[in-house]
Amino acid sequence: MSIHTPDSYHELLHTPDGVRDIYGSENARKQLVQSRILDAMHLYGYEDLQTPTFEYFDVFSREIGTTPSRDLYKFFDTDGNTLTLRPDFTPPVARCVAKYFMEEKDPLRFCYQGSAFVNTSSLQGKLNESTQTGVELINDASVYADAEMIALLIECLRKAGLSEFQISVGNVEYFKGVCQAAGLDEETEGALRDYISGKNYFAAEALLKSRGMKAAQRDEFLRITDFMDDREALKRVREATGNDRSRKAIDRLIDLYSAMESYGYGRYISFDLTLLSKYHYYTGVIFKGYTYGTGEAIATGGRYDGLLSYFGKDAPSIGFMIQIDSVLEALQRQKICINTDIRIEKISYRPETYQTCLQQAMELRRQGIRTILVPEKK
Amino acid sequence: MENINEALAEDRSQYLTIALTKGRLADQTMELLEKAGFFCEELKNKKSRKLIFTNEEQKLRFFLSKGPDVPTYVEYGAADIGVTGSDIIMEENRRVYEVLDLEFGKCTMCVAGPESARDLLQHHERIRVASKYPGIARDYFYNRKHQTVDIIKLNGSVELGPIVELADVIVDIVETGSTLRANHLKVLEEVCPISARMIVNQVSMTMKAQRIREVISLVRDVVNAEKKETAGPSALS
Repeated sequence: MSIHTPDSYHELLHTPDGVRDIYGSENARKQLVQSRILDAMHLYGYEDLQTPTFEYFDVFSREIGTTPSRDLYKFFDTDGNTLTLRPDFTPPVARCVAKYFMEEKDPLRFCYQGSAFVNTSSLQGKLNESTQTGVELINDASVYADAEMIALLIECLRKAGLSEFQISVGNVEYFKGVCQAAGLDEETEGALRDYISGKNYFAAEALLKSRGMKAAQRDEFLRITDFMDDREALKRVREATGNDRSRKAIDRLIDLYSAMESYGYGRYISFDLTLLSKYHYYTGVIFKGYTYGTGEAIATGGRYDGLLSYFGKDAPSIGFMIQIDSVLEALQRQKICINTDIRIEKISYRPETYQTCLQQAMELRRQGIRTILVPEKK
Repeated sequence: MENINEALAEDRSQYLTIALTKGRLADQTMELLEKAGFFCEELKNKKSRKLIFTNEEQKLRFFLSKGPDVPTYVEYGAADIGVTGSDIIMEENRRVYEVLDLEFGKCTMCVAGPESARDLLQHHERIRVASKYPGIARDYFYNRKHQTVDIIKLNGSVELGPIVELADVIVDIVETGSTLRANHLKVLEEVCPISARMIVNQVSMTMKAQRIREVISLVRDVVNAEKKETAGPSALS
């Protein structure tokens, strides 16, 4: 509870929970980090794209598999349509691309930045409005597209100033293959997805046991929990995998690893087949970026080959998003300085010297020096 | 929390930081960790006023906190690993990995009340529920029983609720049931079993994968060995 003061305007000074003002050097750091990340994206030929802050609710509906409805900010337009503040950028970008590039068959590259909104009250210290910068590569189903995505993410994080980070890579298809082979129903698969992505393997095992799965099959299933940091480990899992769909998923990761080595970025990668997402639109390779100083992933991404078909375009796609606020937090905690010293020249004037001072100031500004005019103190 | 985080920031990458739940759970956890080969002598000095206990040799750091704070420390990465009850983990609902059931601190989350309240649970009528665990209580009544309830959050001595007619029933953990019996209350329904769990921060799981996996697998071996012992050889199949 805030301390009561007789000045009623004091209450006006506060922002609601989960949103905040950013100013001064923090803002300067944020702008710089964002522009460096966008520079890296532009170097790979990604073009800026802007979509509206709010969309029709259907763009984020349950079928599309994004944020749960109750976590969305919703309101109505004058015709009674439900509108939603975007919780993430991928569905709007997919909608936009389907609308304007319906016939395009060649790969399309887009990058974006802006605020995303999630309406959860119990976040306790988490932001309801967060800044995201990301890319989407559309019309490219190849493993080289997967590799380009992860390589670009690595370069973005390095440009942002981070040096110690890991990209954890998985493939949703592996999990789906194992579930399919085991003949699990949708409900069990859903519960299992939650347990596995929470690394809660004993609960997963108990669930499989209660569904009458045999011990040998259970063990095969729980091999998903093995940790893999190189190609050999992946190959071992491939040997032990009993179904085609999962084997193909591992093959894809092995190919991806080779491509990452061509980039020279093998050391940033580790594999984790338990990596699943709360966004159900991911269909294949999926990845998360981790670094010290934040409690959760600073970047997430993956392949979403089915998403654009909701908007009438059949286009395999992959993308990622960087949580700028988390990157800044990590940089601060890791004591990585970003030089944002910006000199601002001050010229003080009196009414009688105004003319010459103004000339001076204009000249400095022409030279690109930030200049302000201040009245001389008496 | 902020301060601990700052203090640990410098050599965060070298140490594993473990958050323990103050009290009996901490003792049981240390007993288990010692069997798995992880030690902290400093922690045994009960008179110490230190807040952080270190084992320089094994590069381990421990601190004690209130149960509900353990998932918070772990979620934000102030601790890599935490040990606390599954009741607290469910109630706090933090984004952490729940990696091991340590099989101690066992009890049951129950709906309890006077015998006369049993009938109220059979219908979908609106009742009042007092609990230290409003999240678990709400989830149980809304999503599993489909019953509308008013939930009253209490911070202790929840058993008082039905006695002074603040609430019809309570949702609380029951270990032996002696407190309930002394107050003429009964377990009316069981919500779920509770035990101590090991939780891990999401980032640490990737960034310190090797060390954390080593801790998990060594501790898991001890837990499994003890389970076999208590269950006896016949229960193995």
